[in-house]
Amino acid sequence: MHPKERPSAVTRRSLLARAGGLALTAGAGASLAGCENTTTPVAVAGAGGSGKGILGDPTAGGPVDASGIPLARRDYPVTLPRVNDQVASGAKPERGGELHVYNYADYLNPAVLKAFGKQEGVSVRVTTFQSVDEAFSKLSSGRLTFDVIFSSPDQLSRLVGRRLIQPLNFELVPNLERNAWRELHDPFYDRGPRYSVPYTVYTTGIGWRKDKLSFDPSKLDQPWDAFWEAGSARGRVGILDDSREAPGMALMRRGVTDLNTEDPALMKQALSDLQALDQRVRVKVSISEYETLPAGRMWLHQSWSGDLLNAVISYLPKGTSPEVLGYWYQAAGGPIFNDCICVGAGAEKPVIAHRFLNYLLDDKVAYDNFVGYVGYQPPLNAIDANLLFKRGIVPESLRSTVVTHEAYANGNAYLTLSSAGQQLWDSTWATFRNG
Amino acid sequence: MNRRGGRIWPLLALPGTAWLSAFFLVAFYAIVCVGLGNVTELYQPVPHWNPLDWNVGYLFQGVSDVFPGGQTWPVVVRTVLYVAIAVVLSLAIGYPVAYYAARHAGRHRGLVLTLLVLPFWISYLMRMFAWTNLLDTGGYADRVLSVLSIDSLLRSLGLLDSGGWLGGQAITVVLALVYGYVPYLILPLYASLDRIDQRLIEAARDLGAPPSGAFRRVVLPLSRPGMLGGLVLIALPMFGDYYTPDLMSGSPQTSMIGNVINGYVQGGPQKSLGAALTLLLAAGLLVLMLYYLRSLRSERYT
Repeated sequence: MHPKERPSAVTRRSLLARAGGLALTAGAGASLAGCENTTTPVAVAGAGGSGKGILGDPTAGGPVDASGIPLARRDYPVTLPRVNDQVASGAKPERGGELHVYNYADYLNPAVLKAFGKQEGVSVRVTTFQSVDEAFSKLSSGRLTFDVIFSSPDQLSRLVGRRLIQPLNFELVPNLERNAWRELHDPFYDRGPRYSVPYTVYTTGIGWRKDKLSFDPSKLDQPWDAFWEAGSARGRVGILDDSREAPGMALMRRGVTDLNTEDPALMKQALSDLQALDQRVRVKVSISEYETLPAGRMWLHQSWSGDLLNAVISYLPKGTSPEVLGYWYQAAGGPIFNDCICVGAGAEKPVIAHRFLNYLLDDKVAYDNFVGYVGYQPPLNAIDANLLFKRGIVPESLRSTVVTHEAYANGNAYLTLSSAGQQLWDSTWATFRNG
Repeated sequence: MNRRGGRIWPLLALPGTAWLSAFFLVAFYAIVCVGLGNVTELYQPVPHWNPLDWNVGYLFQGVSDVFPGGQTWPVVVRTVLYVAIAVVLSLAIGYPVAYYAARHAGRHRGLVLTLLVLPFWISYLMRMFAWTNLLDTGGYADRVLSVLSIDSLLRSLGLLDSGGWLGGQAITVVLALVYGYVPYLILPLYASLDRIDQRLIEAARDLGAPPSGAFRRVVLPLSRPGMLGGLVLIALPMFGDYYTPDLMSGSPQTSMIGNVINGYVQGGPQKSLGAALTLLLAAGLLVLMLYYLRSLRSERYT
């Protein structure tokens, strides 16, 4: 399918940070407590000797919540417990048959898959999921096994907790250190690293139509105010349909820097701010801004950076210049994060799967995958912003959609919350959505 | 009915009945067990298959939410209001069409019937998507409505504001519901009007009733079962609809009960609450259905 025909290309992100990840059924403890979970202050498991680590693994450690679920934070990295065995360095690649890949729809360039299959003598079969929640449900049923699983860092703890992925042998993935951004060689959410390699990076910001909106959000003292001040664009203002992104935006507007806060008072404030926004501009809730902004149906929409690129590459109507699109993101402390790739615990071709991860981290392959199809940028040193402008892939006016390595290093992210925290965010969002 | 027929037909109906009840019951029981189940710390719903283990917590929460003061109460009110208006409008639009097709279409009847079935050729979702382009500012429908001053008329009545048709307007959602479901009303209505014995109307006229009197006192009462059947047929899916408000508006100010359930079930830790709300909705619809069946029965005995 051509990228133009992929309405779901972006829906994959709808639950990106939502699912809450809570993993580690923590042995028999798994209290099915329904709604009455309690949060205790974040504790630290293992982390250099004291205690039994996480899941009894003394080499694992990092902040955990009351039920032992790892809560990775930039300044509190997590080493995930080692479950399952990794493949040996000298293992021979499996020959023939199919490599089973589990991914969002339209999130891999078919040409890239074909080339990999040819190179390795396998055929690559992609099975798709709509959301990480769905993926987790199906994986944990135990009836599906995949060689390669695409996911997001906030999902890792639950994937490891259910032993659904296997530790990687990074000797088979040399491209990670060779090509990827330094920050992702040993990321805080997966110290070691043990289970994942990065796939794409993105920011969350504001997308708008310069030719329709009467003001420039990026010129405001507090650009997030743009939504509240867009009364003249009533009915054409949208926020992301996402239980983390939308309330998080309201928090950032108030200057809150902790996007993983579990403070009820702050969430209450975010809710009333969103409700005030709705009163003012009758805000829409959607994740189709990659299509509605270029079409001109929406004038101002909270957006993921990749969507603006997608808009330019695939959705801009004939005769509309890419110059009409604007994008701003909060450089200091705004959401900047990445997706990741893992190898399934039950992989039938673990060596080929490692080689596939390595392949996607190859400069040229990653570039073809990004520019030729996916529209979301891989975090590789060779793919620098200037190159993209020089080649005319990104118009100068959308320079801000390119995620830089420095911005990533200073960015913020929606990360795994404790059970109670997740409830708090979800119910805030549900209350708002019910109108 | 003769004896032999009495034995063969239940036998023939058996596979279909078994198919329907098995698949309906399995799915419905699954929803019941999720709604009366629990949720793990991984946010995975755990259905409680054994009725002895049922946990009514989510159902209670759902019930307290849908009553005045609860979180879902405004949505319930809105949904009932939208559906009520949409159903009345559908009847106002659909009845004359069904009446014309059944009694006055003459040799065009085949054509009229074909036209009535035409909407079913294209999926509901596709037609709604088409409207998002047509009603967009500058879209064909938007321009026509503007030339006809329909938008300014509605604006002066306070039913539409400056946000455009797709800017989260209640009226767009209600009209879209009418548009989407009216064919389902017309067809059963047509069937019931078509069955009315022409001689009854002639008798009414012979006995001195004016055309309007004959309609009011003969046709209208006789078409009541068809009307009720059609109304129930469209009201039931409207109550559960979530994609129409999503596509036509997407604003929290127009979200219906189906949107709330969709929101709970799609992600996050509230899947059980979503299932519990589904059960409540089903219970509400059951009441509607029972009313319909009762009125049919009293119809038959009068």
